Amino acid sequence: MSYFFQLVVSGIVVGSIYALAALGLVLVYKSSRVLNVAHGQLIAAGAFITYALTVMVGIPIFFSFIASMIITFFIGMLVERVFLRRLIGEPIISVIMVTIGLGSILDGLIYLTPFGTENFSFPAFLPQEPIALGGVSISWTQLVGVIITFLLIGGFSWFFKKSTVGISMRAVSDDQFGSMSVGISVPKVFGLAWATAGLSAAAAGCIIGNITGLNFDTLHAFGIVVLPVVILGGLDSILGAVVAGIIMGLIQQFASGYLDGNWGLNGTGEVLPYIILLFILLFKPHGLFGIHEIERV
Amino acid sequence: MKTKQLFLNALLVLAVMFAFTSPAFAGNVYKLGLSLAITGPTSDAGNPYSKGVEDYFKFANETGILGADKIDCTIRDDQYKTDITKRNFEDYLDQGIVLYLNYSTGSTLGLKKDFEEEEIAVIPASFHRGNLDGSNYIFLPVASYSEQVISMGEYVANNHKGETPKVALFLHPSAFGRGPLADTQAAVKAGLKIDIVEVVEHGKDLDNTAMLKRLMSKGVQYVISQTIQSPVATMLKDAQRLGLTSKTFGEKGKLTFLGAHYTGGNDLIALAGAATEGYHWICSYNLTSEKTEGTTKQLALAKKYGRDAKAANSHNYANGIMVAQVATEAIRRAKAAGLKVNKENLYKMLNGMNGAKAYHPYTTVGPVTYSKTDRAGVDMLQIYSVQNGTFKKVGSPMQSVYMKKIK
Repeated sequence: MSYFFQLVVSGIVVGSIYALAALGLVLVYKSSRVLNVAHGQLIAAGAFITYALTVMVGIPIFFSFIASMIITFFIGMLVERVFLRRLIGEPIISVIMVTIGLGSILDGLIYLTPFGTENFSFPAFLPQEPIALGGVSISWTQLVGVIITFLLIGGFSWFFKKSTVGISMRAVSDDQFGSMSVGISVPKVFGLAWATAGLSAAAAGCIIGNITGLNFDTLHAFGIVVLPVVILGGLDSILGAVVAGIIMGLIQQFASGYLDGNWGLNGTGEVLPYIILLFILLFKPHGLFGIHEIERV
Repeated sequence: MKTKQLFLNALLVLAVMFAFTSPAFAGNVYKLGLSLAITGPTSDAGNPYSKGVEDYFKFANETGILGADKIDCTIRDDQYKTDITKRNFEDYLDQGIVLYLNYSTGSTLGLKKDFEEEEIAVIPASFHRGNLDGSNYIFLPVASYSEQVISMGEYVANNHKGETPKVALFLHPSAFGRGPLADTQAAVKAGLKIDIVEVVEHGKDLDNTAMLKRLMSKGVQYVISQTIQSPVATMLKDAQRLGLTSKTFGEKGKLTFLGAHYTGGNDLIALAGAATEGYHWICSYNLTSEKTEGTTKQLALAKKYGRDAKAANSHNYANGIMVAQVATEAIRRAKAAGLKVNKENLYKMLNGMNGAKAYHPYTTVGPVTYSKTDRAGVDMLQIYSVQNGTFKKVGSPMQSVYMKKIK
C-alpha cells in the first residue's frame, strides 16, 4: 500500500511543478491569447539567474530566488515592450511566430554564457535527509517546490479574481476593444501579463533546476513538456493548469509504476498522458476548465 | 627635402605592408573539417570536445609535428541537427578536406552513405557500433557503447556475490541509447552471467520514484545507463532520497549504478553532487583526477591555450584531443611513408594503425588499433567510481571478453 501512496505523493509533486511551469503559458494566453513558445527559455533563464546570483555574486539563495523572479519579471516586460507590443491587432499566428523567433534569440543569448553548454547545480541549502512517513518519502526540495507552487498559484488566483489589475487583465482577455472603451490600457495589461509569466517561469526554473540540476536543454524542454498540461486544463485557466498538472503527474507515476516493465510495456509514463489528453479533448475541446466561447455572427 | 619625405613615406608604407603580411609559407596545408554541437542539445559534451580538437591542431602546427606542413581544420557548429551537419560536410568536401571529423550518432548514421560515396575516412564522437555496419570509412575513436555496456555487465558478473545478478538497462530513447541493447542481449545468450530484468527508456523525468521502486520489487541490484548525464543525475538523486543507493558495490537490497561514456565525468558530479558517490563509470580516457603523464600534457595544453578549469578537466576535452592526435598521426605517417596526403592514403594509414604500428594518444587508457576488420580504436576501458566527489580508478584497464564472442 505504501507503494501506492508513494506514487500518489510523487504524482502530486511532479504535477504541481508542471502546473507552476505551465502557469506562465496560461498567464500570457489568458490576457493576450498568445501561446508563448519561448516560455522554456524564460524557465531556464530564471534558474540560471538564481544560480549566478547565489554562486557568482554570493547572495543567499532565498534572496537570489526573489531577485531572479524580479529580474525575469522585468525581462518579460521588456520582451513584450520590444517584440510584441507593435504586434497588437496583428493575426495571432504572426505573434506566435515572433515568440518562436524570440525563443531562438534567447537560445543564442544563453549560449553566449557558460550556462548554454555547461552543467551546474544549486548549492545544497535544504536538509539532505528526506521526510519519510509510513514508507512514503519526499525530499525537502520537492516539498518546498510544492509549497512555493501552491503559494504562487494561490496568489495569482487571488490576483485575477480580486485585484483591480487582475480583473482588468481578465477584461482585456475577454474583449480588448470593450476594455479600451472603459479606460483599461491594453498595452499595459499585455506587459504585465508577460512580466508575471516571467516571474512564474523563474520560480519554476529554480524548482526544476533544483531537482534535475542546471542543464539548459533539460530546463528549456519543460516549456514544451507542459504544453499538454495547459491544453488539458484549458489554455486560459489557472485552476485548469493545477488540476491538469496533477492529473498528468499522477498518470505518469501510475503508468510508470504499474504498467512499465509488465506485459512488454515500456515508456507508458511518457505516452499515456498524451493518449488521455487526446481522449479528453475529443469530448472537451477547450480543455477541462477552458472557456468555450460562442461567436454570434 | 621633399624627396626624402617621399622616400620615408614609401618606407613606412612598405613596413606596414610587411607587418600585416604572413611570412612566405613553404609547406602544404591539409584541410580537415569538424561539424558538431557547440550549441544546442549535447553541447555540454560538444563544446569541450571542439576545444580539444582546436587546441591540439594549433599545438601540432605551432610545434611542427608535421614539419613545415600545417593542418587547417574548420570547426562548425551544427546545433546537433543532421541537416546542418550534411550541409557542413558538403561544404568541407568543396574545400577539399582529406579527413572528416563528425559528432553525433544520428548524423553519422544519416551520412554513412555519403561517406561511402566520397570514400573519405570519418572519425565521429559517437561510439555507436551501428555506425560500422555497412560502412568501410567510419572509425570509432574508442570501444563502442555496446562494448562499454557489455564490459560493465562483465564487471558486475565478476564482482557480484550470490546468484546471477539482476540488471536493468537505463537507456536514452534514441539510436544512441538503444544501440547496445541487442549486443548486450547477445552477450547474455553467449554466456554473460547477468539477468537483464528490465529495459527502461527514460523521458524528461522529474521523479523516478515509480521506476526505482518497480526495479527494486523485481530484485534488480544493478542499473547500467547508456544515456547523457542529466537523466542519470535525476535518477541518482531520487535513489539517494529513497535510500536505495548502495554504499558498497553490489550491496544487497540496494541499487548499484553504473554507466557508459556520456553518462559520467565531472558534469555528472556538477549535476547530482553527493548523490553520485559510488557511481561506477566506464570510459577509455584518462581522467585528470588521476595524475598521469597524459593528463599532465592535457592540462598543459589547456593552459597553453587559455582554457578554463572546467574544459581542461573534461573527458570530452580529452576525447577531442585524442581524435585530433589520431588525425595528425595519420597525416604524419603518410608523409613519413612518402605518400601524398589525401583521402585514400589517410584511409590506408588509419587501417594500418595496429600491431607494432598501433598508436597511443596521451589521453587514452590504451592504444588505437584500427584495421580493415576492426574500426573501433581504443579497445581498453577503465572503470572509475566516485569517491569523495571525484572519479577514481577501479582496477586496471580491461577489455571485453564477450564483445569478441558476439562479433
